[in-house]
Parts: sequence; structure tokens; C-alpha cells
Amino acid sequence: MSLKSKFSVSLVLFAILILASCRKYQETYQDPDEEWFSGGSQTFFDGNTTGFDHAFTGLDARQMQNHEVGDKAFDAVFVTAPAPLNSGLGPLYNNVSCVSCHVNDGRGKPPINGEPLSSMLIRVSIPGANVHGGPNGIPNFGGQLQQRAIAGKMPEADVQITYTMLTGAFDDGTPYSLRQPTYTLSNSYKQLPSDYLISPRVAPPVFGLGLLEAISEYDVVKNADENDANGDGISGKPNRVWDVLTASYRLGRFGWKAGQPSILQQSAGAYNEDMGITNFVFPVESSFGQSQHDGLNDETEISDSLMHAVAFYMQTLGVPARRNAKDPIVLEGKRIFNQIQCASCHIAKHVTATDMAFTARSNQKIFPYTDLLLHDMGPGLADQRSEFQADGYEWKTPALWGIGLTQKINGHAYFLHDGRARNLTEAILWHGGEAENSKNQFKKLSAAEREAVLKFLDSL
Amino acid sequence: MKPFVIYSIVCFGLFQSCKDENQTIEPNNIQSEILSDIGTHICYANYEALKNASENMHTAIQNFNTNPTDANLDLCRLEWKNARKFWENSEAWLFGPVATDGIDPRIDTWPVDFIRLDSVLSSGSVFNQTYVHNLEESLKGFHPIEYLLFGLSGQVSAASITVRQREYLLALSENLRDLTADLHHSWSPQGDNYVFEITQAGSSTLFPSKLSAFLEITNAMIGICDEVANGKIGEVFVNLDTMGEESPFAKNSMVDFKNNIRGVEAIYLGRLNGNETKGVEDFVRMYNLSLDGKIKQKISLSLAALDQITLPFGRAIFEQPIQVQLAIDAINQLKIELEEGLLPLIQMHAK
Repeated sequence: MSLKSKFSVSLVLFAILILASCRKYQETYQDPDEEWFSGGSQTFFDGNTTGFDHAFTGLDARQMQNHEVGDKAFDAVFVTAPAPLNSGLGPLYNNVSCVSCHVNDGRGKPPINGEPLSSMLIRVSIPGANVHGGPNGIPNFGGQLQQRAIAGKMPEADVQITYTMLTGAFDDGTPYSLRQPTYTLSNSYKQLPSDYLISPRVAPPVFGLGLLEAISEYDVVKNADENDANGDGISGKPNRVWDVLTASYRLGRFGWKAGQPSILQQSAGAYNEDMGITNFVFPVESSFGQSQHDGLNDETEISDSLMHAVAFYMQTLGVPARRNAKDPIVLEGKRIFNQIQCASCHIAKHVTATDMAFTARSNQKIFPYTDLLLHDMGPGLADQRSEFQADGYEWKTPALWGIGLTQKINGHAYFLHDGRARNLTEAILWHGGEAENSKNQFKKLSAAEREAVLKFLDSL
Repeated sequence: MKPFVIYSIVCFGLFQSCKDENQTIEPNNIQSEILSDIGTHICYANYEALKNASENMHTAIQNFNTNPTDANLDLCRLEWKNARKFWENSEAWLFGPVATDGIDPRIDTWPVDFIRLDSVLSSGSVFNQTYVHNLEESLKGFHPIEYLLFGLSGQVSAASITVRQREYLLALSENLRDLTADLHHSWSPQGDNYVFEITQAGSSTLFPSKLSAFLEITNAMIGICDEVANGKIGEVFVNLDTMGEESPFAKNSMVDFKNNIRGVEAIYLGRLNGNETKGVEDFVRMYNLSLDGKIKQKISLSLAALDQITLPFGRAIFEQPIQVQLAIDAINQLKIELEEGLLPLIQMHAK
């Protein structure tokens, strides 16, 4: 071979080598748009029990310490006052610690086999609104039913749940059944008014909330279409709720009806109502003015710094990475999910606002699959109880990230606001109202297509 | 011989040696064996021991209830400590039904709600199992039993334990026996068979790969090291607040801490309660002997540092602060080795 020929062969081999290396680079590079990184840089590759319990990366030492203090406080069990440790439980309460409801920072469930309520509570009210436009609490009961009480006090009422089985069939003839819950309040410590309203709620997961809080209000509201101007049958309405600390109305983001504007207010409200622990945001016992009040005047029952630490803990919990995101069946499920318009409300991608004061959650491309807006979900799911702008038919689109890990991390697969759905298929089949069309399209799918959608949801 | 032929022979030899090595190690099979042994002979076997020890404690409390002598009380205390040992070991794998079925808080909630406990004791309620089942978590499990058996002083006499307290003790020990039996049932192949999820990882529902099971186990080991160093010891030490101390009445906190770390050791070495099986050690030694040595050293140093605390924990935080700090540091070093050494190794090699 001549020198020229040798050079030509070498050149060709070199070119092939370069091209091959480029190809390899393209294959291994993970584009964030491919959604492996559900929480942007706050994504953690842990699909196990600790999957919802990772502190943000990029926290400085002081922030990390704050997170850890909040983590410990999240687990703290409260007891009857006066006590030297974790004093102040009740006098009326739903549970004794944050983690009792949010097991492994995850999802609660309805009671099973006659168990008492544990990681689920009942909001109550009478028709009308309070001075801020929120639910109108029942005199002598307030806005939340506490079914547990310390010694010497009475639970406000007992709660019984019964289910009526409804049957139906997919278009291919495959039968299904759904559980329609009925809630009965009994043994109330005082007579309940005849027109009381109830709204059952299971504890939602608490990871990733800091990222949802960091989406700018503009970016949430831009997806609203309250009067369905585009005629797609889907509206989307922001809730405007009362911010206690600023004494103003703000966008609601947290809770099943987006009734809370911030993680701090959401968690402070839970301390007060769920555990009877007063704090600087809600310094008055939920039982104040009732005969059940303890009269101890020991407010506040947790320090301001501890309250902030718990809120910070929840603000800085990362998001589990997706699993099998490139599996062909998962990708087919995603295609169908988009095709039948699930993604109209469960919007996949958001970018958090730039925040130089809190860089760990600043400018993150995230994939929560929610629009944080209210939607009419039809009469089947309606609680007939309004909460600020949310009417009795409306619920906030819940985030779907991490939903496929529920069985492993929380040991169950009960979904929707009251845990009536025993799996994701049932959760889809309960969709109505604005989602009626999507549900009907889901029912028309073949068994393999339905399985693909479920596999996609499991990968989130 | 032409260079090409020599090159081919060398390459063939290299590939062959790689193949031979793989055939010898068979990492996939060994990983299955390790998970099977840990699931069956460490985790499940320990739950069985816990169930039996709780049964023994209940029997001892039955005897004490009918014949309340100091000797019988001492026997109850011994059985409490014995059951406690198996429970603390098991906190090194605090995943599965113990967490998701809410068994942990019913067995081991701290603090005790003393005001309510007084109220329960002074009530006219019949202490049957339905009654105890419906009680708050802070009124049942290990610590209320401990409080009644040992008293605030740790040395209460049999004569000073009232009939009502004995009746409550009996109901609580029966409840604990049932809860540990439930826990055992949840792992049992004859029950809910959670052990299958671990032993058959790679084809089980919850662990679709062996990697995910190894990660679950490793994260649990890391979790208990963090809990012992920075929660159980660290929080009480930093705040100098003895009320945060677990097992203060039996003065058993130091034993609790050691049994937590021995739980980590059991998973790592595959040795617990006389069982000698494969452990995570066998995984690590296939790839990194140096790391294996470091982990073993740090487990030993953690246990040795805890041994240096010779006073009950509630006193040691005031009178042996250096020893307490050194124990915190040693356990945190173990945690770091597991996080920065073991975890990446597992992520790299588990299937």
C-alpha cells in the first residue's frame, strides 16, 4: 500500500472513530426534557423506602442543619400537657405527629377493616363563607373534625365509612368495580347542625413541595382558562386564598383544593388543627371557645424556629427519579396519556422561578404533572363544600411524580382525595366533569393500551 | 511468528482470563444468595426471635401478675431487656411492613404520655385487648411496659406496683406479643411473605432488581447509623436534655445503641444470634477488599466507642461528654463509609 493510500485509510478509520464516539455521546447523554429528572437537579435515584426522603443537594451547612432539625421535629410524637418533652397534644386532635399521617413522607390511606381514622381527616363546615371567603366552620366544631381527644375531653365525633360497590365495564367488555364511600358522623359531643358539609382528605405526599412553591404565580396562572375560551372542555381555575401572615389573598397551591398559599401556612395549620399544637402562624387552639378547650394558656406550643424548620424540611425534600422512562411500553403509555388529554391538566413540565436567595430550587426544569389549578371533577368526586374559589365540584390537579412508588414506600395503592380508589385504574375511572371525556377515551382503549398508560404512571 | 498472530493470542488470552474470572465469581448467583440469606437468616429469623422473646416476656409478666415477688419482677425485667435486644437489632432494617403497616410506632413510641397513663390507670376501664388496641401509641409498646417494670428510679419494688398497674402491664405485654407476632407473620412465607420480596429480588414485585433490594438494605443501615449518632445520642447530647433519652427507666439506652449497631453488623457480616450466613460483606469482598476492611473497622470502632461510655446515658451526657462525642463521631464515620464507599459500590455492581 502506498503512503498516500495508508494515509487515506487512516483518515477514514479516524473519521469512523470520531463518528462512533459522537454517537456514543448522544446515546448516553440525558436530556432533562426526557423526564428522568422529575425534580430537576433535586432528583434522587432512589426507588426504595427512602425515595421521598432526600434533602435537596446544594444546601449550605446552616440550611442542612435546619433541614435535619425539621426532619426530627417531623417525627416528634406529642403528648398531653404539661410534659417535659413534646408537650401540648390536643386537647382535640387527629394524630400525634406529622409522620403518623405522612408515613415515609408519603401518602395516607383510608381506614381498612374497621380501623379508626389515622392518616385521613374530615373537614367540616356549614354553607356560606367565613370573613376571608374560606369555609364557614361549624359553631362548636370549627372547620375540621377532631375524632381524638386527650383524657377528660371528648372526641368531637366518631367517623364511620361504608362503601357501596358500583360496577361498570370498559368498552372491550372487561368489568370493573368502584367503591362509593359514605361517611357517617356519630356520637358527636354536641348536636351537629342538620346542614353540615364534610370533605374527607387523606394525607398527601410532602416531597417536592418546595419546587411546586417555587413555580412563579405567572406560570401557574397562564395555564388557567376559567371560561374555557379555547373550547377544549377544560377550564382550570386558580384558587385565591387567605394568607394569614401577610393578611392578603394569594395563589393557593397546597392541599386537595389548593386552600393554602405556602408550605409554612399548610404545615402550621396542620400542627394546629391535626395535632392541637399552637404556633406563631396559628396561635389559638382549634378548640378555643368550645367547652373542650383546655384553658392552659400555654401558647405557643412549639417555638417559631421549630415551626420554620419543619416548613423548611418540607420545602427541601427532593423528588425520586423516574424508572423505566425509556421503556417502549412506557413511552407508548405516555403517548396515549397525552392523546386522551390527561396532560391538559396533569401538565408535565414547569420551570421554577429564578431565586438567588434560594438557589437550590431556583430555575429548575421539573416534571410534576400538575397545573396546580382547580378543575370540576364531576358529581362522583364532588364534596359539595367550597373552599375559597374552589366550589363543591372542584379539586386541584394533584402532582403525579412519585405516584408509582406508593405501593413500595407506603405499602398501599389507595388514591384520590379520600383514598376511595384501590389502584390507579380506579382513580382514572372516578374522573368526571372536565375529565369525563378523557376517562371515556381511557375506557375505549384496549387492555394493552390501558396497561401501557398504567405502566407510564408507574414510571413517574 | 507474525506480530498479528502474537497480538491475537494475547487478546484471546486476555478475554479468556476475563471469562474465567466471571465464571469463578458468578456475581449474579452470589448476589441472590446474599439477599436470600439476609432476608431469611437475618431479618426474618430475628423477627422470629423477637416474637418468641415477647412471648417469654408476656409469660413472665403473667407469672408476676399472679405472684408479684421481687424475683418474678426481676425475671420480667430480664425478659424485657431480651425482647428489646431483638427489636433494636431489627431497627437496622426498618423497611417493609414494620414501617408501612404502622407497627413501629405501636411497638416503640417515645415519649410516654404520663398524664394520660395516670388517667388510664385511675379509670375503671377493663384492660382487654380491644381497649389496648385502641389506645394511643404513646400508651403502649416497650416504653410504658418499661416504665411500669422499672419505675422512674429504675429500681421500683414489686410491692409498690399496684394491682391496677399489674393488670395494665399484663394487657400491654399481651398486646406487644401480638404486635410482634403480626410483624413476624408479615415476613413469614406462611403469612404475608414479605421475605419473598427480598429473597427473590430481581423477580419480586417490590424489588424488580437485586440492585433495588441491596439499596434498600444499605439505605436502612445508613439510616440507623444516622438515627443513633445524630438522633438518639446526638440530639439528647447537644440539648443536654435527658427527656429525649429512650429507655431511661431501665437504663438500657447504651445497650439499645449497641444493639442498633450490631444490627448493622449482622447485615454486613451475615451473622446474628448464632446464624452464620452470607452478608453484604460477601458482596464487597468480590470487588474491594480495602473497603471491606474499612467498613469492618468502623463497625468495630463504633462499638468500641460506645463501650467507652461506662455510665448510664442520662448521666454520661454530663459526666462523660468526650466519650459521648467520640461515639457520635465513630458512628458518623461508619455512616460516611456506608454512604460514600458501600453505596457507590452497590450501584456499580449489583444487578
